[in-house]
Amino acid sequence: MTLGDGDPKLERTLSGATQPPGRDDPAPARAGTDVLPRIEACIPALRRYAVALLRSRDEADDLVHDCLARALDKLHTRREEADVRAWLFTIMHNLFISQTRRRRSRPTAEPLDDSHANGAGLRATQEDALFWRDLQRGLAMLPDEQRSVILLVSVEDLSYAETAQVLGVPIGTVMSRLARAREKLRHYTGQSGCRTLRRVK
Amino acid sequence: MSDRIPEADLHAYVDGQLPPERAAEVLRLLEQYPESAGQAAAYAAQREALRAGFAAIAAEPLPPRLNPQAMVAQRVAERRMRWRAAAAVVLAFLAGGAGGWVLHGRLAGPPSELTLLAEEAIANHVVYAADRRRPTELGAEQREDLARWVSNRLKHTVAPPDMGPTGFHYMGGRLAATPQGPAGLFMYQDEGGKRLSVFVLPMPGMASTAEHMVNVEGMDGCAWIDKGVGYTVVAPVSPAELHTLSERVRQQFDSQT
Repeated sequence: MTLGDGDPKLERTLSGATQPPGRDDPAPARAGTDVLPRIEACIPALRRYAVALLRSRDEADDLVHDCLARALDKLHTRREEADVRAWLFTIMHNLFISQTRRRRSRPTAEPLDDSHANGAGLRATQEDALFWRDLQRGLAMLPDEQRSVILLVSVEDLSYAETAQVLGVPIGTVMSRLARAREKLRHYTGQSGCRTLRRVK
Repeated sequence: MSDRIPEADLHAYVDGQLPPERAAEVLRLLEQYPESAGQAAAYAAQREALRAGFAAIAAEPLPPRLNPQAMVAQRVAERRMRWRAAAAVVLAFLAGGAGGWVLHGRLAGPPSELTLLAEEAIANHVVYAADRRRPTELGAEQREDLARWVSNRLKHTVAPPDMGPTGFHYMGGRLAATPQGPAGLFMYQDEGGKRLSVFVLPMPGMASTAEHMVNVEGMDGCAWIDKGVGYTVVAPVSPAELHTLSERVRQQFDSQT
């Protein structure tokens, strides 16, 4: 007998999932305890995304904490088939949106958290460091929805379909936001017109 | 094949999201269109710089409050406090006989005494299975001693079940305290470090039941009562696997008595 190859019929009976999964299904299945380690494995990435999005570790940690609490609330209603990572990013995105709306009134121009440019210390050349600085400033100037897309795709390695799912928009919207974000960053960092890259100044 | 590279393909090429054949085609086309090649190179450089720049954050040690195990443990503990308050009432009802049926009717899930049992089992599992240094009081080499000790305290003869070919090896066990008296906890571990616990709590006078899945804060326990003793198996596996494992545990206990 091998574990891991659960009898599919029994699995269905136990989980109550008789319908194929879909975005609007009323989530009948429940997650087993095995989901916790999978949630745990996603936390560094969730935190990286939150820091990149909010540019503040404290706020990012608050957001990740809220996201985990919400995920634990919903654990027993979660569809087992769904990808844990995309599910967590979706929860966090929704929290980010509702919190941003609440925050709109107060000024959002916060200083760039320089400490998270730790990577800069390891950078090979000064040009790289300057490019990274420009890129961060450019990123800060993007509208939230474009910044989300470029971070989810480039840094978090989500597929375009997963990104669309997380943000709750059609895949075409993901593509157009990605294209706009990358063009803006190209202009902002002075990449445009340069065939060999990283000629920053 | 189109003679220009569609914008979407350019991005998908940079992000490695094209099927290999199409990626090879795009690569060939890039050689013919320097402008597109410049664009792709710029995007790729952005991508690499973003990844490198933010990589350090994911490598940082996590703040303690972002530990889901600890969050679950806290939630289970809070829930258990509420349950313990309710437990006395529930048990009084059950002791009174017909009261149990009133409760059965009200709760959609498993019988309330099984929920009570699983609450204790899962709370103990959360605390002791997460303890990397000392999850057990007596280790595997003191199997007999533990069986005798637990049997004495429970006033019921019990020995750690043998999980045989399931991949879970016996690690040891301990006594646990519950409002209903002492309980035995046997711990197992598989190759991947997953921990399974078997919880045994005497529940004199309770009728035997089938196995029921009880979910507490996202953790599943498979609980049943047999001849006045409650059993719960908890492990971080799918409900189907947990059920299979529990059936083995039940057989083992059956053969002990």
